[in-house]
Amino acid sequence: MAELTLTALGKRFDSHVALTEVSATFDDGEFVALLGPSGCGKTTLLRLLAGFEAPTEGEIAVDGTLVASARSGKLLPPEERNMGIVFQSYALWPHMSVARNVAYPLEVRGFSRAERRTRVAAALEMTGLTDYADRMPAALSGGQRQRVALARSLVADPSAVLLDEPLANLDLSLRATMQEAFAAFHQRTGATMVYVTHDQTEAMAMADRVAVMDGGRIRQFATPEVLYSEPADAFVAGFVGDGAVVPVEPCGPSDTGDVTVRLLGQEVSARARVAGPDRLCIRPEDITLGDEGALRAEVRQCTYLGGRFRLRLIAEGGLDLVAFSTARVRQGASLGLTIGRPWGFAAEVAHG
Amino acid sequence: MTPKMATNMGGSRSGDWLLSALMGLAILLTLAPVVRLLVEGVSGPAGFSLAPVAEVLAQSTTLSALWHSIFTAGVGTVISVILGGAFAFLVALTDIRAKGALVFCLMIPMMIPPQITALAWTQVMGPSSVLLKTIGLAPPLGSPQPLHSPLGIAVLLGIQHTSIVFLTLRAGLRAIPPEAVEAARISGARGLRLWWQVVLPLSVPSLAAGTAMAFVTALGNFGIPAMLGIPAGYSTLPTLIYQRLAGLGTSVLTEVAVLALLIGVVALAGVLLNRLFLRRRAYGLIGLANRPLEVSLRHLRLPVELALWLVIFAILVLPLLALAATSLVPAYGVPLNWQTISLGGWYEALFRQPVTARAFGNSFLLATGAAVVLMAISLPLAWVMLRRPNRLSRTFDLLVDLPYALPGVVLAIACILLFINLPLTDLTLYGTIWIIFIAYIARFFTVMLRPVQSALAQLDPAMEEAAQSAGASLGRRLRTIILPLTAPAAAAGAILVFLTAFNELTVSALLWSSGTETLGVVIFNLEDSGETVMASAVSVAVVGVVIVLMGAIQLASRRLPKGVVPWQN
Repeated sequence: MAELTLTALGKRFDSHVALTEVSATFDDGEFVALLGPSGCGKTTLLRLLAGFEAPTEGEIAVDGTLVASARSGKLLPPEERNMGIVFQSYALWPHMSVARNVAYPLEVRGFSRAERRTRVAAALEMTGLTDYADRMPAALSGGQRQRVALARSLVADPSAVLLDEPLANLDLSLRATMQEAFAAFHQRTGATMVYVTHDQTEAMAMADRVAVMDGGRIRQFATPEVLYSEPADAFVAGFVGDGAVVPVEPCGPSDTGDVTVRLLGQEVSARARVAGPDRLCIRPEDITLGDEGALRAEVRQCTYLGGRFRLRLIAEGGLDLVAFSTARVRQGASLGLTIGRPWGFAAEVAHG
Repeated sequence: MTPKMATNMGGSRSGDWLLSALMGLAILLTLAPVVRLLVEGVSGPAGFSLAPVAEVLAQSTTLSALWHSIFTAGVGTVISVILGGAFAFLVALTDIRAKGALVFCLMIPMMIPPQITALAWTQVMGPSSVLLKTIGLAPPLGSPQPLHSPLGIAVLLGIQHTSIVFLTLRAGLRAIPPEAVEAARISGARGLRLWWQVVLPLSVPSLAAGTAMAFVTALGNFGIPAMLGIPAGYSTLPTLIYQRLAGLGTSVLTEVAVLALLIGVVALAGVLLNRLFLRRRAYGLIGLANRPLEVSLRHLRLPVELALWLVIFAILVLPLLALAATSLVPAYGVPLNWQTISLGGWYEALFRQPVTARAFGNSFLLATGAAVVLMAISLPLAWVMLRRPNRLSRTFDLLVDLPYALPGVVLAIACILLFINLPLTDLTLYGTIWIIFIAYIARFFTVMLRPVQSALAQLDPAMEEAAQSAGASLGRRLRTIILPLTAPAAAAGAILVFLTAFNELTVSALLWSSGTETLGVVIFNLEDSGETVMASAVSVAVVGVVIVLMGAIQLASRRLPKGVVPWQN
């Protein structure tokens, strides 16, 4: 297992810029999720790591050794990179049994028969496939195929395992089971894993750190908690978690160490990393509902989520907000709001 | 992007130059003969000249042969379309029984060499027919053989190429989503209206493609007009070329090159006409044809089935029976009964004549060799064409059909021109078995390449990328991942190549020499020298081998991976 370093990485397809100025370090043994809407460049980044594409700018290093560089033209082909990969379509070879599929990377590397057998048995056991070793892929269910692909990607001790939306083809309940399986699997193997997904719950549930991508850039690369409570910009705030982003006027620091901003004439105390934030990310948890309250809002929609209700509110000035409530609230009702310590940031952030 | 980057895109490997060399060789093989032919046709003693063309075109024999070719191929195509079309529509759309057996029987005429078809049919009719004599229906001696006529040639060409129309149209019909027909039925359309207004318009592209293919194949057919036309003094372009070359030798190469080009032009015109016609009529089909259509014929089913099997009997069983009958008499013209039955012809042809055994060996080696070599080079070529497309591979993609679409005589002349004197040496391939082999490779390249290409295109690229990430080099991926997954298509291609090459006459008729006879040549020569009984015996043997081979493949089909048997899809 190894550390992956990306330096000012960029990829252009003819005139289309798929990836630009991507710099990050994925630590040894870390589970990293690349999260973003379709077309954000996450799959391109994965294919650059695997070596299926060559970068047009920047460099990729594995444990400090350069594997791809646009400047020197060095490009280690995929077969020499020692990466494991799990495709969205699983790409199991239909003419080989489960055991053969898993053994293939070992065969290619010239492992002895005995060594192969031990390793394959271990990989199958870890993925719960021991009883299916002699089945053909066509005779497996979706979740089982997924696990074969996973076992195959890991069996040869790769520097990193790359996963390209591996759960996109599974139904919801199976997806939850597989998420747990992946997380447990990562814990047990300690493999460096790079996981591409467009599903934020999936990314937040499994990853140590999530790189939120949009327009070919990494917008923020942080732990799920930080992404949720301290989003770097409006895109991350909107893409990750529930809530609203509203414009505010900065008023300077408060006496508690926070900053004070003015929202609809009211002074609100906010957490921030910048001195004068002009945007607030108000999560549902930041809003306390009551009859009293300096801010008034009208209930537009009330959706039951199981255990609680999600309210879509329109505050004075047409501001859209989201809050949670323990009881059903009539549509059109007027409520008072208290806002406690939301996250503030500046609308224009320098990308870096 | 720096230029250095560009060369590194897609990961350049040491094996790449080998693939490029293979591609270059393949292009040379398919293109060189045609170019050589063109050069020969338009060059005089002092370089470029249209004099040979003008000279040949001015001869009345050329013009009459041209007309004969167009007439027989045209009428033959009409017959193929009627027969093959009817079978395709009925087999693909209705609930008739024993479809597998029908398809198998319809495939046989295509696999039987045309000269055997011709020989078999002449044994059905005419004053010397052993079959007719045996049942006492033979016309009086001296009455003409009705098949030695333009219409006779056309009818047999039609029967010979029925399967081409049938297979192409059936494939097209299978691609029609059943919903299209069901929607029309819900709207109230039934019976012939359904067929006329929905099914027929949707199947026009495949019907047209089959028609064009049948026409081009009929145009280049040599066996049938040679067996039926030469005795009647009725020449088509391929037989005219053969007669010129056989009579005057290589001194008339320029003249026959022009004649060959003439066939090529007519064939090309047919293909272009078809494209033009299709441009306005190709509808995109939406939806998946997952279930085959099965329109119930109800009380008409039995009569329709009887009619279909009657046609099969008439075009397949009857001529083969006649052929078998002829092969079993001691001398041509003697009626067959328990007193006269004799295996003398068989014994003489198969065991006394060394040329027959030699020809069996030659044909078997040539067909196997062509199938094996083509299988070995088609996979890497198809891979390069799909994954590393460049100008070279696109050129090849355009040209690879050419040697197959051109009539075999044209290709044969082209190969003679090209190999009669190997460039830079005094060596010649003419008169050796290698010239036939190379011609076969060029001719059947597309038969092998196309199925492999389409199988490869359907493969999920992630299959290969997964292997690449697992550390497998290009050669290893080709061997362990791509080869097994495209093997069914390759096997189907190889079976077709083998069966077609095994029976081939048109190319080898001009390329053989003593010692390198093929089966087609032996049968043709035996009949040509009046040894009809022996020709029949060899023919029955060849048909037997073909049917046994096809039957074995058919029987094994359940245990073979899907797609190996070319006539099942």
